Amino acid sequence: MATVEEPRTFIRPDGKEKVTGTGRYTADLVLAGELVAKFRYADHTHARITRIDVTKARALPGVLAVVTHEDVPDVLYGGMVKDRRLFARDTVRFEGDVVAAVAATTAAIAEQAVALIEVDYEPLPVVTDFEAALADDSTLVHPAWEEYEGNESLGRHHNTVGYTAIVKGDADAALASADVVVRGRYVTDPVQGVPIEPRAVIAQWQGDKVTVWTSTQVPYAARGGVAHVLQIPESHVRIIVPLLGGGFGAKCDFHFEGHVAALARAARRPVKLVFSRREEFFAVGHRREGMVIEFESGARSDGTLLARKARLVLDKGAYCGEGGFFSEMAAMHALGPYELENVNIQSSLVYSNNQPSSSIRAPTAPQVCWALEQHMDELAAALGMDPIDLRRKTLIETGSVTATGQVLEQIAMKETLEKAVELIGYGQELPEDEAIGVAVGWWPCFAANSGAYVKLNPDGTGTIITGAQENGTGSVMAMPTYVAAELGMQPEDFSMLYQDTDAAPYDMGSCGSQTTFNSGRAVIAAAVDLRDQLLDAAAEQLEASRDDLELVSGSILVKGSPDKSVTIAELAGEGTFHGKGAGEVPFAPEALAEGCVGQSGLESFHAPQLIAHAVRVRVDRDTGVVRVLQVAAAHDCGVILNRMGADGQVYGGVVMGIGQALSERTQLDAEGRHLNAHLTDYKLVTASDAPQIDIAWIETDTLNAGPKGSKGVGEPPCVPTAGAVANAIARVLGARVHQLPMTPERVWKAGQ
Amino acid sequence: MSMQTFTTAATVEEAVAAVAAGARPVAGGTDLVVGARTGKSTMPGSVVAIHRVAELRGVEPLADGGLRLGSLASHAEIAESDDVCARFTALSDASAIVGSHATRAQGTVGGNLMNASPAMETGGPLVCLGATVTLRSPSGTRSVAVEDLWTGPGKTTAAPDELLVGVEVPAPAAGTGSAYVRLEYRRQMEIAVVGATAAVTVVDGVVTAARVAMTALSATIRRVPDAEAALVGSDGGSAAIESAGAAVAAAATPISDVRGSADYRRAMAAVIARRAIKTALSRARGENA
Amino acid sequence: MKVAATLSVNGFAYPVELDPGTNLLAAVRDVIGLTGSKEGCDDSECGACMMLLDGQPVNACSYLALQAEGSEITTVEGLADGDTLAPLQVAFLELGGVQCGFCTPGMLVSATALLADNPSPTEDDVRIGLSGNLCRCTGYDGIVKAVLSVAGSS
Repeated sequence: MATVEEPRTFIRPDGKEKVTGTGRYTADLVLAGELVAKFRYADHTHARITRIDVTKARALPGVLAVVTHEDVPDVLYGGMVKDRRLFARDTVRFEGDVVAAVAATTAAIAEQAVALIEVDYEPLPVVTDFEAALADDSTLVHPAWEEYEGNESLGRHHNTVGYTAIVKGDADAALASADVVVRGRYVTDPVQGVPIEPRAVIAQWQGDKVTVWTSTQVPYAARGGVAHVLQIPESHVRIIVPLLGGGFGAKCDFHFEGHVAALARAARRPVKLVFSRREEFFAVGHRREGMVIEFESGARSDGTLLARKARLVLDKGAYCGEGGFFSEMAAMHALGPYELENVNIQSSLVYSNNQPSSSIRAPTAPQVCWALEQHMDELAAALGMDPIDLRRKTLIETGSVTATGQVLEQIAMKETLEKAVELIGYGQELPEDEAIGVAVGWWPCFAANSGAYVKLNPDGTGTIITGAQENGTGSVMAMPTYVAAELGMQPEDFSMLYQDTDAAPYDMGSCGSQTTFNSGRAVIAAAVDLRDQLLDAAAEQLEASRDDLELVSGSILVKGSPDKSVTIAELAGEGTFHGKGAGEVPFAPEALAEGCVGQSGLESFHAPQLIAHAVRVRVDRDTGVVRVLQVAAAHDCGVILNRMGADGQVYGGVVMGIGQALSERTQLDAEGRHLNAHLTDYKLVTASDAPQIDIAWIETDTLNAGPKGSKGVGEPPCVPTAGAVANAIARVLGARVHQLPMTPERVWKAGQ
Repeated sequence: MSMQTFTTAATVEEAVAAVAAGARPVAGGTDLVVGARTGKSTMPGSVVAIHRVAELRGVEPLADGGLRLGSLASHAEIAESDDVCARFTALSDASAIVGSHATRAQGTVGGNLMNASPAMETGGPLVCLGATVTLRSPSGTRSVAVEDLWTGPGKTTAAPDELLVGVEVPAPAAGTGSAYVRLEYRRQMEIAVVGATAAVTVVDGVVTAARVAMTALSATIRRVPDAEAALVGSDGGSAAIESAGAAVAAAATPISDVRGSADYRRAMAAVIARRAIKTALSRARGENA
Repeated sequence: MKVAATLSVNGFAYPVELDPGTNLLAAVRDVIGLTGSKEGCDDSECGACMMLLDGQPVNACSYLALQAEGSEITTVEGLADGDTLAPLQVAFLELGGVQCGFCTPGMLVSATALLADNPSPTEDDVRIGLSGNLCRCTGYDGIVKAVLSVAGSS
């Protein structure tokens, strides 16, 4: 175990184009003859469509295409449950359902045409209270749910699209024997990803093949989605992602590439869609879900944790997308990184007529962690124990067995806690309106397939071809350093071809903090393959044993004979050397998972990342306004390969976590429509609200890790921040805020 | 409807003539263009840009101790003016916290006042400092007290052919201090959910004059006579401040919306008013505040 | 009815024809063809479109393009001196001020205006000054450090 050296400078290969404004994002591209796309969204959040008439819209001069469900194959799509049509056919189920799309010569004409589309509806009862939607007599959001094709493990029933139970021991009996029992109910509002780049899609057909430039985090999923909804081969779809202006999960999954491809095909012209900020809020099928979370825990008076019960209800919104695993993910976070003998966790993911929720940076974790970590502090208070001491006693450590039966090896949970507590100065005397709060959390790695090529150019430089997607974190930008290290070359020697589905083998994309873990592994494997080829060629040319060769500074040398060498440029010839690789996908550790229902593969946490955040806040009791003054973030993310990049994830993730804690919330009206789909009233943290953040990395030798012992980094930093802020607020107020975000009004009210 | 005509006025006369002919004046664009882009308002069919009119510029101290602001005076200019900061402090408080530095560089006091938002920052300070605006039309010029300028959100008493050309703020009496305080969820980039201004004159330890105005708590920014009455004649001590704050809360007719409930706003009205009054009193007494 | 005008951007004069309601961002991106400045919102909240107008910061999406005739407009493309990056651009790269890069053009322009107005800002001055530029990636840490490093070195 080791802490990591101070940051060293890492200049991102895409940096110069970004600071000079010469880099191109999707909306910056212009194709000759391109048209403007606009959508006609649902006029009700739940209604039966009785008539769609596009006659007037089609007749408007300047309109080249109007597309509805009649113009595309009648297929359902969806990552884990196929429950959605590209264009609504019989029913609209949320505010952002697309009923029709228009392509026209100007935005003004397209908007006019959209308004000319006539749609008649029979309104249906709107399901916005997702907790009530659990009841068997509630209105069904998807009456045909049983006919849908979906992942068998989800335990779908009625409005429930995912159900997970984790049961171990006898929680009720253990609670009955506990000295202290605490209960709490916590409610969270929906939250948005808010990449600063609103999404954009351009589609252009050439013959029967379509190229789509799109701001997606998952090009290969987008390719599969377009092929599926248009019923064409994947080889007829090429997805290119220009520079991506952030994602945070909001640009995961297949979204609007299908609509634009359909429009471009109908219009016989390239078509460009650029979302307004309002659309980026309400129309996307990815936001962080609202939840209702109930906890009950019991302990012996010495702090021994005896049992935990939890009931979680998650708002899935109108469609499943790729988020079907959320009930299990949330259940795992309800366990949290604690040793527990008696557990009963019930977690339900429920359809509603609200905006669909799906992965946003560490999906489900910040909300459940916020609730659990408050609950643990409440337990500590009931026990009369310091909350840090209670965690010291109850957290997992190397060798612990989780409630799902996973044996944890080489983790630094307690070490991150100690480090965070030390960095923040826990226990120091503070002004009466300030306090420190601490929270801990965990997050798994996601092992997946990926493939890559590294080819050599005639001048001895190289090109890396990867399916990995750079969303801004720098995880793809760091790949030349890994390849250069394998080949004894410099990172600057490599160009990269990426974000083009016709170029590289499949990659999962920028999601699950997986880029370095999987794409990095593949790129390194390709570099090793190329190195082996170069060593073979050099051995022949130098008439030396391959084992005696080494790659140094762009040359291959015979060890001990400095005069016998050949440069890589000399070896390269006309540039036919190319390595390819995928690397071996590490396996997730087994979990017995006895008593678990609804397993989607998360019942063991692969190479878990452990996180402890400590924050110091100031609370204005009279107004409820909270300022976060200082954050100490300690993470075990395995071996850190790029300190500057990893730090950047923590700075950004913590600040996102502060937004979730205090100000970010989507407010919906009684019918599930957005009330604040704009940045004036959806409040992100500004530079003046972002605190000093101190970072520590605890490196461990992780089993089944990614390349060079690494784990993921991108998602964990936003997991425990809100919980730590909550615990700090409670210390100042002497009262708890049970709603997230903890807005000034809610804090003020709690303090009354 | 989209904008059909755009002209740029070089002189006040040109600007006034264009407004009289039905053009909407634009200076920094921070309200007009944003309103049209977000769909809160439509882009006017005819616009006259007045930002090049030199006579409408300036933040000038007057010989009698007063202050003249051209309608084009930007929030940045106002906030950075030593005169404003020293003697018209509430106005400086307000201009310093409008939007971002880009909004402060482009946004003008004239636009702020004529946009007539009940949440505008400079309104309360100008009301409490007793400012008047000069409205000019082809038929002449008239002065209107700022507190008589608004009739509702987005509505003013200015005639359709009148252009706001300047703001005059009288010299504050000796012993006067003023402050504007806004409830701030974030430290920057806020729109007032609750705001309060106080301007008080303290002579020999007694409050001899007081003006208190509330922002974002009724259909227009307006003074609260009961709060002022609670302060005048008092020692400006905590009891007087408390009852003035309560008077502001009682006078408030807040709404519930995404920014806060009416109950919260009413409670904050008292808190923020107390803070504004306290700071104004400290400044009046020459204390460091 | 389009109006003929000449806009001066980064030292070049561009003759353009614009609908009177065109905002400066649309004119510079779509008509002149400089796409460095970004559109991230429509209510002057994100700052991704920020340009300098005679040295003063402006949210170009909220400013009528025709009003800018007669002013010198500076965009992110005008910050470097030929191939030599401006110190702020270098500092953003070296100190972790750039991730996805979508806020970067507006942020750099904003920081340029900030330092022109206040060459020796405190950290809090920088944070206040950059509050009109939202960044979702960096937590502002690298950006603030970069601006302070340039302020300290000049």
